[in-house]
Amino acid sequence: MNTYQILTDYFNHSPTIIQGAWIIIGLFSILIIGLVFYLKYLRGHLRKKERISAAYEQEYESALITYLYAGNEEEKISSEQQAIIDLLKNDAKEPFKRKILIAVLVKLKNEISGEVADSIQNLYYQTELVDYALSRLSHKKWFVIAKGIRELKQFQIKEAYDQVIIHLNHPRPEVRKEMQLYMVNLFDFEGLTFLDLLETPLSEWDQIQLLEIVQKLENQNISNITSWLHSSNDSVIIFALKLAKIYNQLEAKNEIIQLLHHRNKKVRLDAIDVLSYLNVLEAKEILKTDLEKRSQEEQIAVFKMMENLYESDDESFIMKYINHDLFEIKIMALKILKEINREKFCALKIESVNDPYLRIVNFIENN
Amino acid sequence: MNGAKKIVLAEDNSMLSMLLKFKLEKEGYTLFIAENGKKTIELIEEHNPELILTDIMMPFVSGLEVISHVRNTLNLLTPIVVFSAAGQEQIVLKAFDLGATDFMSKPLSPNELVLRVKRLLS
Repeated sequence: MNTYQILTDYFNHSPTIIQGAWIIIGLFSILIIGLVFYLKYLRGHLRKKERISAAYEQEYESALITYLYAGNEEEKISSEQQAIIDLLKNDAKEPFKRKILIAVLVKLKNEISGEVADSIQNLYYQTELVDYALSRLSHKKWFVIAKGIRELKQFQIKEAYDQVIIHLNHPRPEVRKEMQLYMVNLFDFEGLTFLDLLETPLSEWDQIQLLEIVQKLENQNISNITSWLHSSNDSVIIFALKLAKIYNQLEAKNEIIQLLHHRNKKVRLDAIDVLSYLNVLEAKEILKTDLEKRSQEEQIAVFKMMENLYESDDESFIMKYINHDLFEIKIMALKILKEINREKFCALKIESVNDPYLRIVNFIENN
Repeated sequence: MNGAKKIVLAEDNSMLSMLLKFKLEKEGYTLFIAENGKKTIELIEEHNPELILTDIMMPFVSGLEVISHVRNTLNLLTPIVVFSAAGQEQIVLKAFDLGATDFMSKPLSPNELVLRVKRLLS
């Protein structure tokens, strides 16, 4: 009896559950062997692709360096440069090579300025890579559009303004973010005019990124922010308030005062903060009249403002809050009283019979 | 080229180092390229250059460590120009504390770099 027969007999005479187990073991073994071979192939394929990619990268790097130094004063584009342009233009037709070529151009463009950067941008036009980026803007997949806008920003293609701005209210935040960065990076403060038409929310992270860019601009003459303070988009108002604070936009104080009665609490809180920073005394008087109707956070914000903008006339107002239920307000009222009328503040120690309250007064007196 | 002044350029961006190499060699300098801080130190010890150009952020050994090594271990007064990106102001100040001679912020202009190199090596 040969081995095959022994195994067949064993299998046929085994209980069904054992037979089932052997079948499963067999199937899994085939699957694992198949996967091992597939992974081996995949690894080989990726390594090959990596090698090809590295070879092209090296080729394009030397082509780019040659292009940059092959120019002469007689011709706008020398024959040697034209040969490189033709080669790269032809290679750019293939998406794989195009991706490597763009990566090579970006790698140098980010690190260099002046004539060399201009030459790289010129090459981007000459090789018609700009057309591929522009065609991405009408793609149905959102990430292709986002990448297209980012590329146009990296190569500073201002001519794409009209095609980029149409993505202003794109449903995907990633596309909107790229659009916003394109605008501000390429058009400085003028680029912020997209805020006039923005209907979608400007996230906190978007605002941070935009502020980081505008604060690095050479020209710090900010455009008029008042229209954004009237926006129907609350996130635009909040961003405009940040700009008002950073750029001391005292000329927009009337618009900011109006925001003290905005329907959105966050806007009202930010407006109080900015008005306090800008030392707008009129705002304090308005807030004093309707303080009781405001939320607790706003009341705290108002007292923070008063710590900054107190006057001797505020004494009677402050006295109403030195026993307030809210600890923060009580503390700030006492601090302000200490500054306005020290005698009255010290008298509180004698008048007070409440031990915890006395401890608070003593703490403020000594700090 | 034997009389040419030697410059060690430490930069991990191969494109940028290649570009600057071409530019500075055209001006008559001899360039030694290092793509990380460790190799930079080896090149400095081997060639004793007249000028060192180094990026602040580099793999293995940073630009700051290169400056410290040159000034404190090798006790050399070789001028050192550091390249920094935006937002690295604090690190640039540290570089000056350690003995850097000059700095250039990225993106940098090759023409401006050549002018500074000429001034430092004149």
